[in-house]
Amino acid sequence: MVWTKWSYMDHWVTETPQGPQPPSFNRAYMDRYVKQLSALGFTGFDTFFFYLPLYAGMYGGVPGFERFLQDNGFDKITGIFSAYPSATRYTAPHVRETHDRIVADCENTLRMCEGLTGVENFIVMPTSTHHQTEPVTDDTIKVVADLWNRVGALTLQHGMKTTCHFEFWGAIRTREQLDTFFRHTDPELVFFFCDTAQHTIAGVDPVQMFRDYSDRCTGFHFKDTKNVDEHEAYRTPPDPELMAPQVTRWFYEMGEGGLVDFPALMKEIVASGYDGWLTVEHDKAELGGGSYAEATAVAKWYIDNVLAEAEAEARAELETAR
Amino acid sequence: MKDTLRWAYALNQWNVRLDVFVRHEDQQRALKTVSACGFDTIELASGTGRWDNISRPEVILLNHGSHQGFLDFLRRAQVRGVSSVFWDPQAPTEEEEGYAFRSTANPADADAIVEWSKPFVDFVAGVGADQLVVRPVGSAWMTPPLDADGIKVVADVWNRIGERTAAAGIGLALHYDCLGAVHTHAELTGLLEATDPATVGFALDTAELTVGGIDPVAFYREHADRVTHVHLKDTRYADTGEEYRMPGAESTMLKGGAGRRIERWFYELGTEGGLVDVPGFVAALREHGYPGWVVVESDHGGNPAELAMLNSWYLQRVLGVAK
Repeated sequence: MVWTKWSYMDHWVTETPQGPQPPSFNRAYMDRYVKQLSALGFTGFDTFFFYLPLYAGMYGGVPGFERFLQDNGFDKITGIFSAYPSATRYTAPHVRETHDRIVADCENTLRMCEGLTGVENFIVMPTSTHHQTEPVTDDTIKVVADLWNRVGALTLQHGMKTTCHFEFWGAIRTREQLDTFFRHTDPELVFFFCDTAQHTIAGVDPVQMFRDYSDRCTGFHFKDTKNVDEHEAYRTPPDPELMAPQVTRWFYEMGEGGLVDFPALMKEIVASGYDGWLTVEHDKAELGGGSYAEATAVAKWYIDNVLAEAEAEARAELETAR
Repeated sequence: MKDTLRWAYALNQWNVRLDVFVRHEDQQRALKTVSACGFDTIELASGTGRWDNISRPEVILLNHGSHQGFLDFLRRAQVRGVSSVFWDPQAPTEEEEGYAFRSTANPADADAIVEWSKPFVDFVAGVGADQLVVRPVGSAWMTPPLDADGIKVVADVWNRIGERTAAAGIGLALHYDCLGAVHTHAELTGLLEATDPATVGFALDTAELTVGGIDPVAFYREHADRVTHVHLKDTRYADTGEEYRMPGAESTMLKGGAGRRIERWFYELGTEGGLVDVPGFVAALREHGYPGWVVVESDHGGNPAELAMLNSWYLQRVLGVAK
């Protein structure tokens, strides 16, 4: 058996007559982008909430966009990513007074997903930037947890699991903070989304994190990094992803000599019985002259060769143990 | 690709300048891209100098030690082998007498060009490839029009090299391009007739023929017995005003837009407004039981990984070839 549920997270930049742009530049670029993902064999598609109106405009509705995906061999749209990376006076997960607005925003996003085959994950960044949130206390985490408990109950009514994707620069980033957050959230309502690079940069072992929270894990971003944040870059205002003085590029595709042990994670996933989607994400792949297209192909090559072998080994070990 | 046709992918789209595509890790990424797109065999295009370490046989061997060392390098990326190597003896190179600027149309150059073929014949055979694919003659704008005698001069060179390739157990395929001095249907047919069908084949490039005003499907049907190699790509334009005769046509036509602001001549399969009947051409290959390599190419294009994936999409979703 080979893992077939590989999805792609909708980060991409391509050359257009108006310079490098996301493929949502226009319908023709969007079609080409989907075809490229299709050629590599991706069958799931995750996207951001803010792209949904654009895709609806191009394809006559979000379900129309999903049908185009399906015409090209995809199963469906698998996840919607929603986030408030910058805290504002309107929306800040650590400020209880803004929660009604955030919940209303989530309701809007859920409405845009009506008619889809079955989005599984409503992926959220639980907090805004660390520097806007600090000091991060247990009480801060409790406020944030209360928000996502509310959203979790809401999204379940629409068949989607609210699943939390942590950034190395977010307010919940250490293992202790992660544990506190999951203690304060309802395991029936709030789930774990494992971004391998983000946890590694924050000094958290993603394999151990998955091992400990596999019962709440509903998805992954498979991406790599070559750096652990050793200079408190996570506190850099306004943004450590692009402005950290010591590290100009944090994220890399799999198989390029990064720190994440993907074969070990793959084996752990197989051993756990997890049967959900595995998602490839590239973020800022163009830094240093890189190309999203090539990064995606190289990552899929790694899946088809290295991870397929790890998966086969894990399945053989399971069989032997029976 | 899992098919009765043998599919390969040309690496030339990555090697677009003298000083790029040199580091082995960059080459590995390209090979992995090709592999992820479903191709396990590649075509190489010859260049010159120390930076052409994935195209010039002598430099490849310097880098990898042996033919086997090079194949091992490819296989690290799950690319199993080489279908073919492209060589243009008219292209200026330092290895061949130090930029000697010889031409197959000049009888005085024949002995030297035959000798120049040796490293290519050895390399193609050494890596287990099938075909040495060659540019039979230089650009039309650089030489007077070829009459039948002129074509025979060119053909004689390739007949001699064909003897060498046959002796080495490989094929020799003459590649038509839209700038070449053998340009019209009559000239091309004349060249094929002047060469030995037992040792000299034809490399049919669907886009180059179309730009040159020759229907690739019809030409294939007429000359299926001579076609031993295929380059599959599309174009949106034909040369409608003898633009191939423009001075410096490599630049003024293919890159300068031929006075028509054409920014790019060659396109990936499935491009909007493509002139090549790709399904019809591939169907004709199948009808004739074409046994050679079909090399998908997207040279003079854009981002090579994007084009490779789009070509792969076309094979899978339009031609119905399983990856």
